[in-house]
Amino acid sequence: MSYFLIFFSAAIVNNFVLAYFLGICPFVGVSKRVSSAVSMGMAVTFVMLITAVVTWLIYHLILVPFDVVILQYVSFILVIASLVQLVEMFIRKVSKPLYDTLGIFLPLITTNCAILGLALFSVLRDYSFMESVVFGLGAGAGFTLALVIMAGIREELELAPVPKYFQGAAITMIVAGGLALAFMGFAGMI
Amino acid sequence: MSSTLSLKTEFIKGIWKENPVMASLLGLCPTLAVTNAANNGLAMGLATTFVLLSSSLMISALRNFIPHQVRIAGYIVIIATFVTVADRFLAAYFPVISASLGPYIPLIVVNCLILGRQEAFSSRNGIGRSLLDSLGMGIGFIIVLVVLGIIREILGSGSIFGIAILGDWFTPWMVMILPPGAFLTLGILIALANWYNDPSRSKERGTVS
Amino acid sequence: MSKMSLSTRMILVLTLITVLSGGILAGWDTITKPKIAFHRQEALKAAIGDVLPAHDTYTREETEFGTIYIAIATRDSSEHLVGIAFMAVGSGFQGELRIMVGLSPDMTQLTGIKVLEQIETPGLGTKIVVDPSNKQDPYWFPAQFRGVHLSPEIVVIKNAKPTRNNEVQGITGATISSKAVTNILNDQIAHIKTVWPSKGGPES
Repeated sequence: MSYFLIFFSAAIVNNFVLAYFLGICPFVGVSKRVSSAVSMGMAVTFVMLITAVVTWLIYHLILVPFDVVILQYVSFILVIASLVQLVEMFIRKVSKPLYDTLGIFLPLITTNCAILGLALFSVLRDYSFMESVVFGLGAGAGFTLALVIMAGIREELELAPVPKYFQGAAITMIVAGGLALAFMGFAGMI
Repeated sequence: MSSTLSLKTEFIKGIWKENPVMASLLGLCPTLAVTNAANNGLAMGLATTFVLLSSSLMISALRNFIPHQVRIAGYIVIIATFVTVADRFLAAYFPVISASLGPYIPLIVVNCLILGRQEAFSSRNGIGRSLLDSLGMGIGFIIVLVVLGIIREILGSGSIFGIAILGDWFTPWMVMILPPGAFLTLGILIALANWYNDPSRSKERGTVS
Repeated sequence: MSKMSLSTRMILVLTLITVLSGGILAGWDTITKPKIAFHRQEALKAAIGDVLPAHDTYTREETEFGTIYIAIATRDSSEHLVGIAFMAVGSGFQGELRIMVGLSPDMTQLTGIKVLEQIETPGLGTKIVVDPSNKQDPYWFPAQFRGVHLSPEIVVIKNAKPTRNNEVQGITGATISSKAVTNILNDQIAHIKTVWPSKGGPES
């Protein structure tokens, strides 16, 4: 598959959040303000990019040559958890303003299934190194897109008369259902 | 007497009052992703409960040895180990289920429900209590997954657990087994739970009866 | 325990947990690996069996295009080539399709196809695998490929019964999925022909 197709598929057609349900927790929890949604999306995209690179290297240079593929999940999650910590420390040292925007979201990312999902999907689909990187970028873009759209809708929803029992998580799910339906319209474009 | 009662509540709370999905919105990713059929939901629920129970057992047993600073790293390794065990078990003995759940089995590693219970409960309580808590939470999770799976399968395919129950007159609502159906069904279920739990409503009911 | 510094304790405990985890997994790996390999082998055998006529055994040959499975039947105490099978991969409506394809020995017609992996739209595109709405013949779509001719290429026709031997009927409402299958087949069979010479004649 060409790089463009991989990017477009991960970002739009098979959107990580709306088609694969990856990263639903921050989608429900964080997406109340557009500004924080953008920051969260950037933080996730950044971590996804690094994860795509590092997990690809680990899988193809360590796990497969030494025939220890069974350690895949343990090693992936450990690497992701440590990476997130490192990135957080690095950002704090290097740039205060960047830390203030992204920093508070980073600890949440470890248990964001979109990150591990990215690593698992790229192994499952047998992507080459460059394909994995493009896939990581696409998935990050798709996550950001879904989060920002959702935050925009929720800002409007605050002024809308939502039925009592639907307030909170219920209406978020219904809106997400509508979005997922809309994104299905992109099927067939790849 | 009081201790047996509280052990019972430890177990019961996960099923409704503190249900991981309906009350705490944990583990939404697998809840939405694999419930397009009832048996997928059941398999996912059982696998998650297995991981929950075995991690709880290990973590509550080791709780006094794991230093506070590295507890999360330790928990993650333990959880990922048992997820691998479950994943390989399904692949070796139930290849069809394993294929239909795909990468959502390994994604149990990052199911916030599991890490959440370890952090909030197993790291602070004895083995017996932790196992009861995990069992309750696991059963609560299985119930939600199976109910969601049954609703989506009936409306989306006209069957339950793969057995056709609605006749030819029924045109399946395709959308129910597609991603939007997952969001819509869960949204409506949460709203129903809100309605059921509403204190003002139960007060009304109390005065009437 | 109390004499140990915190960092030593941290390293010690984490190492112990990891060693324990490695031990459990190493043991589990030796138990499950042969079973998983067996299931894979069986699934492959079943897929090849589905797309090729009855055969006794098959061999595999690695080409620059990928693995080709060569099916052989033993008749009258001599070996006959029954056909070849290979995995064709390409884009469907929503994502990748993986199709096991069976070709006759002279490579002029298909002996069968089986879609092994797909994420097409349930109820429409998934009819390329099975069509539950057609009670008499749920596998009508893949079944039409048995015996279809490859020259000049396989063609999908809409809303009508095929009249020529290189035509198949498309799925109503899932034209793109139907065409995706034939496009992948046409494209990859052309590739296969460049690396695998046709063994002409039925009894070569």
